[in-house]
Amino acid sequence: MKIRTRLTLWYAAILTVSLAVMGAGTYQEISEQLRHDHSKRIWEHALDETSEMVLYVGLPAIVLGLLGGWWITRKALNPVTALTEAVEQKHDRNLRERLPGSGNGDELDRLTQVFNDMTSRLDNSFQRIREFTLHASHELKTPLTVMRGELETALGENTLTAAQKELLLSQVDEIERLTRIVDGLSLLTKADTGQINLDFEPVRLDELVRESVADAKILGQPHSIQVSLSACEVTMVSGDRDRLRQMLLNLTDNAIKYNYPNGTVMVSLAHDNGFAELRIENTGPGISPELQPRVFERFFRGDASHSKTVEGCGLGLSIAQWIVVAHHGSIQFVSKPSEHTTVTVKLRSEESHEK
Amino acid sequence: MRVLVVEDEKKTASFIRKALQAEGFAVDVCHRGNEALAAACAVPFDGIVLDIMLPERDGLSVLRQLREQQNRTPVLLLSARGAVNERVEGLNAGADDYLPKPFVIAELVARVRALGRRGNEPKSTLLRVANLTLDTVSHRAQRGEKFFDLTAREFRLLEFLMRSAGRICGRMSIIEKVWDYNFDPGTNLVDVYVKRLREKIDEGFEPKLLHTVRGAGYVLKE
Repeated sequence: MKIRTRLTLWYAAILTVSLAVMGAGTYQEISEQLRHDHSKRIWEHALDETSEMVLYVGLPAIVLGLLGGWWITRKALNPVTALTEAVEQKHDRNLRERLPGSGNGDELDRLTQVFNDMTSRLDNSFQRIREFTLHASHELKTPLTVMRGELETALGENTLTAAQKELLLSQVDEIERLTRIVDGLSLLTKADTGQINLDFEPVRLDELVRESVADAKILGQPHSIQVSLSACEVTMVSGDRDRLRQMLLNLTDNAIKYNYPNGTVMVSLAHDNGFAELRIENTGPGISPELQPRVFERFFRGDASHSKTVEGCGLGLSIAQWIVVAHHGSIQFVSKPSEHTTVTVKLRSEESHEK
Repeated sequence: MRVLVVEDEKKTASFIRKALQAEGFAVDVCHRGNEALAAACAVPFDGIVLDIMLPERDGLSVLRQLREQQNRTPVLLLSARGAVNERVEGLNAGADDYLPKPFVIAELVARVRALGRRGNEPKSTLLRVANLTLDTVSHRAQRGEKFFDLTAREFRLLEFLMRSAGRICGRMSIIEKVWDYNFDPGTNLVDVYVKRLREKIDEGFEPKLLHTVRGAGYVLKE
């Protein structure tokens, strides 16, 4: 029950009780006065007088009181409603924006203050985490370059045995993997801190889709995975060409990686009502429903049993999600374990909103 | 050939120097922007390997200063991977080539060697390596008597490999030059394409032309 309703009910109860007390008092008073008349029907008369009083004076007073109470609680609670709405809009990206307080020093103003202080502390912590990740990924790049360079120099020596060479080469592979992770991490952290500017221009999304499907067909061949493009309507979007290509490649590559041998990947692009809808559907073990909300998390690997067989940096879907969100679109992941998984990307298409 | 290597990270500078010396280059190293500018003005180098991130004066500023002084020494920029702006800015500032970090050292050596030749080679439309030819106008590829069809992507890949024949091409350069991706796609796209290309141009022929250099990339050579 809303505070407002509750307060009004209390109000009504109090008024009714006071009315009853008033009625009883009035009745007493009148009957006292009438007793001196010694009339026969004094009691009835007193009752009449009292009910008239209650009906014509008391009830309107109650109704007025209720309306007034309703209005006052509304006025008193309005700032609370406004505060609730403002707090609802809070997420990890806008913690720095302060909620506007009334400045009159009342209880609600104080609450707003305290809330603002709390969010700014949270913002500082988030900021520190982001900066830490950014610095860490940056600091890791140089040693990786050095390690790689020195290993390659060592590989150039003619005195190495085949086994030693193999060992060094395997190190180079691992360094490459580490580099990929560091790159992905630094990209996402830069995106978090707003350091990446997208280059928006009109882009033929259907051309990019065709291109990435052609690449995907070839990527699927070693695993006998059939990649097909079921529909591809001419679609213009406003976007960053490179980032959209990266998103398409990440999604189609995932659809191939997390698939069964001899499986299929079906891609379609349609547009409707000002929205471009890209669907990438693949067969494969999929992800259980309780884990699905977590697929866009960084380094999320799905069910542990599948994670070992698939190579990758664990950031592909996070990067794809960032790209879609940066284009003001939405991305959805639905998986029916052991049957198929569908990723749906919706982007606003260009025709609907001319610049 | 005398080369100036400008890199503030001492270890990185050291293995670049070693690798270039092993290939017969004379190498000078400096770690700071101002030092680099002074050195480049004092000595006529045949090429400069220039890191963008430098103390005091960054690589781009060194490069602009050099070009302002009409110094035309070919410059290979080392940029942080994926930083598109740096790359574009670098080429606009007058760099002749760029290499994203972390790079394959063999590729760096190959690019430095290519710096010296830059501009002298007219872009031929008929490329030839052994008995493999590629006509970049008609997109026809031929080995011996046999013609084969190439997809658009395979054509660009083969063209890139043939234009850099004899030089190692790292995966990242292939991705950048053939796919125009300025990000690491995190897939084995290049390897799969190279494998397909190899099936077309090398299967049934001797000698094999398309070689894998493990840990580095690919090279097309006899």
